Amino acid sequence: MSWYYIEGILIQCGYVLMVVLGLSLLTGFAGLFSFGHAGFMAIGAYMAAIGTAKWGLPFFPALLMGGAAAGVVGAGLGSMTLNLKGDYFCIATLGFGEAVRLILENWEYVGGARGVSGIPWETNLNSVLIACVVGTLALMALIRSRHGRNIIAIREDELAAQMSGINTFRYKMIALIISAVYAGIGGGLLAHYMTYIQPKMFQMVKSTEYTIIVIFGGMGSVTGSIIGTLILTFLPEMLRSLDNWRLVIYGLAVIFIMVIRPRGLMGGMELSDIFRLPARRRAARMAAERIKSMEDAGAGKEAQR
Amino acid sequence: MINGLSLGSVYALMAVGYSLVYSIMNFSNFAHGGVIMVGAYIGYFAMTAANLPFWLAFVLCGVGAGLLAVLLELLVYTPLRNRNAPFLYYIISAMGASIFLENFVIATIGPTYRTYPQVFSTEPFRLGALSLSRIDLMIIAVAAVGLVALVIIIDKTKIGLGIRASSFSIKASQLMGVNVNVTIFIVFLLGGILAGFAGMLFGMKYTVYPTIGAITTKSFVAAVFGGLGSLPGAIIGSVLLGVIEVLVSGYLSSNFRDLIAFVILIGILIVKPTGLMGKTSEDKA
Amino acid sequence: MKSGGKEVLKLEHATKQFGGLTAVDDVTFTIREGEIFGLIGPNGAGKTTIFNLINGVYALSGGKILFDGKTIAEGAAEGRKALQLKPFQIAQMGITRTFQNIRLFKNLSVYDNVLIACHRSANYSLFEPLLRLKGTRFSKQEKALKHKAEDLLDLMGLTFYRDVISVNLPYGLQRKLEIARALALDPKLLLLDEPAAGMNPEETDSLMQMIRSIRDKFDLTVLIIEHHMDLIMGVCDRIHVLNFGKSLAEGTPSQVQSSPAVIEAYLGAQDGCVKEGER
Repeated sequence: MSWYYIEGILIQCGYVLMVVLGLSLLTGFAGLFSFGHAGFMAIGAYMAAIGTAKWGLPFFPALLMGGAAAGVVGAGLGSMTLNLKGDYFCIATLGFGEAVRLILENWEYVGGARGVSGIPWETNLNSVLIACVVGTLALMALIRSRHGRNIIAIREDELAAQMSGINTFRYKMIALIISAVYAGIGGGLLAHYMTYIQPKMFQMVKSTEYTIIVIFGGMGSVTGSIIGTLILTFLPEMLRSLDNWRLVIYGLAVIFIMVIRPRGLMGGMELSDIFRLPARRRAARMAAERIKSMEDAGAGKEAQR
Repeated sequence: MINGLSLGSVYALMAVGYSLVYSIMNFSNFAHGGVIMVGAYIGYFAMTAANLPFWLAFVLCGVGAGLLAVLLELLVYTPLRNRNAPFLYYIISAMGASIFLENFVIATIGPTYRTYPQVFSTEPFRLGALSLSRIDLMIIAVAAVGLVALVIIIDKTKIGLGIRASSFSIKASQLMGVNVNVTIFIVFLLGGILAGFAGMLFGMKYTVYPTIGAITTKSFVAAVFGGLGSLPGAIIGSVLLGVIEVLVSGYLSSNFRDLIAFVILIGILIVKPTGLMGKTSEDKA
Repeated sequence: MKSGGKEVLKLEHATKQFGGLTAVDDVTFTIREGEIFGLIGPNGAGKTTIFNLINGVYALSGGKILFDGKTIAEGAAEGRKALQLKPFQIAQMGITRTFQNIRLFKNLSVYDNVLIACHRSANYSLFEPLLRLKGTRFSKQEKALKHKAEDLLDLMGLTFYRDVISVNLPYGLQRKLEIARALALDPKLLLLDEPAAGMNPEETDSLMQMIRSIRDKFDLTVLIIEHHMDLIMGVCDRIHVLNFGKSLAEGTPSQVQSSPAVIEAYLGAQDGCVKEGER
């Protein structure tokens, strides 16, 4: 296996990770499911590609423009659908993702079903690395702030979050917009790696795959999303010799994880938490013992009366 | 118009399966597409490789798809239910099952499009000035019989009572002595059988291919259109969607045919998320 | 009891209909600053519905609710559109609550539960956390939030359990944690929905002590729904009695206990409310 080949997979990991980080915020932290992230990715990819290939913009501004376009569309989608209850929101994003793809397919300015080609090859290991590092740090910073905690509260119990004075609609909106921007940038990176894009690259199956990565890595864990991306991007490549069977194995693996280890690899913990784990376990055990002794004492008193 | 009705009928056969599962378990069974696809293939091979007559193939595909649906429920959803997993785990597992089924068929049978042997003559059936395609009439007839039978089962039998009770509250009906496991089992069986029929009829009207299950997103749209969890809603929504699609591709452009389905979906969700006849619920603090 | 304080919460002819069912029918009462006010009534009398109206979980069908002199909800009437603040706005104004069936952020630690609710004590923007340096407004405010959360845990005797996942706490401590979380928003009015449910007499006693002490420490006004008559009679300054959504009586504990209408309603009711007679 040549370095050239591995480099290719790493770049693939890079743009997938951008989308997954965004989805991780929305799904893993805010608890909202989206089956339409391929749509945001498509918007970012097309916007950035048109920017460089048709309007002659430099790569970096075009990439940001793609992210911004996805964010704006995300805001529009959110304002219409975030009032819906969880299940229905997820259905709405599914419809959104498919609608984006079908619109692109029928829009001649962006090449219809043939898509856009002749996109400059700008995405390399350095650019995805920078994007991923900045993306990860920014996401971690957000999560470890009052804003991030408010988003987590929505996942845990939306009503209780409202009663704690959290504007849940606003924070769901923030999560959705940031998530869409990440997906848009991921799409832009993809476009400038492949040098061509077509609507069929952004089918619903893609959205599903990203959601599966988030779940596989563990909801509510950025580290989990990163590890999940690496494993689930490399694994199918390693299994390439199995040809058609690899997706069969993939499907089985997804079911298996859901049934056996539903909390995902990291189960809501970050890498830094693992080092603190022994201390936490000890504290939890002590607390459990005290709780138990209290209950025993309580039961004793009950018995005396 | 008849073309739209027959398309709508196929959607309806699929949509009721979705809707039944949703009404009881409150999740969208994305694996339904896989069941439909397998049904279509069973029918195809029964008629070509095994050379069975049409009616036997038809029964076989219903039984096969029904069994597959039940198998999915036993192997995938039952363990989740035993653990009280949140709805999203069901959805992801369903997605996994659908990826598995689709690719299993691609890996074993291959991705080629296959055409059913001709059962009905393409000679249209003439009724006065109208000329109707025989396969469309067949589809409408089968769908009508299947759906009426389903409605009778749900409205008149004891099993149906259990299903209706469980759709209000699984816990309460469990306390009232409804065997929820059996009820869910039957729901998957019924939905699977109809899905098998739908797959075979769709395959006969068009062709059979591994990603045929993707059309279930349409029946899913139809179910939302009519109101998730409501059977009459699913049927009405499906027929409307079928007719609208055919009209759109006839008068505007066939390119917009798929788009219109999703535009309807988003529109409905924004205007009236519970659909035309869906059940509503208010969150209690 | 501090009498004659200013009006904190006022319900004027509050009415709530669900379809054809009138759950709360023309209820009027006023709670004054510093009071501990009890809301009692048999099951289905509309107590929790009133809480949900005050919080804005349900929209008011008719009448008006005022908090601190400001209208927070008003039913539609001729020539006037309905007004309804959102639950989070009402919480931010200073009404917080606990739940009958406990709604903690279950998978988070005890500390995180309280820390989340402290969010109103900081106002740094969405982008400030990106710069994680000492001395920025972000780090100063975060530090203050952490102190506040720790103080609240201390006060409620939960410091020892700080890293325990909240769902693993015993029932009584979960209730305490819910109160700590509600206090984190510096409320003026605290709504407690059956705080003593599932508690034994000793725990109920200490809960009574605690309600009084937090009232004094935080200058709170408290509204309690409770079935435990011991607690209600022991801790409340005034009590409002509901039956089938309608007001039945109002007054001090002794006035209410001697009210013929109340006795009739309770003897007529067959649920487990009559704790008084059992002891």
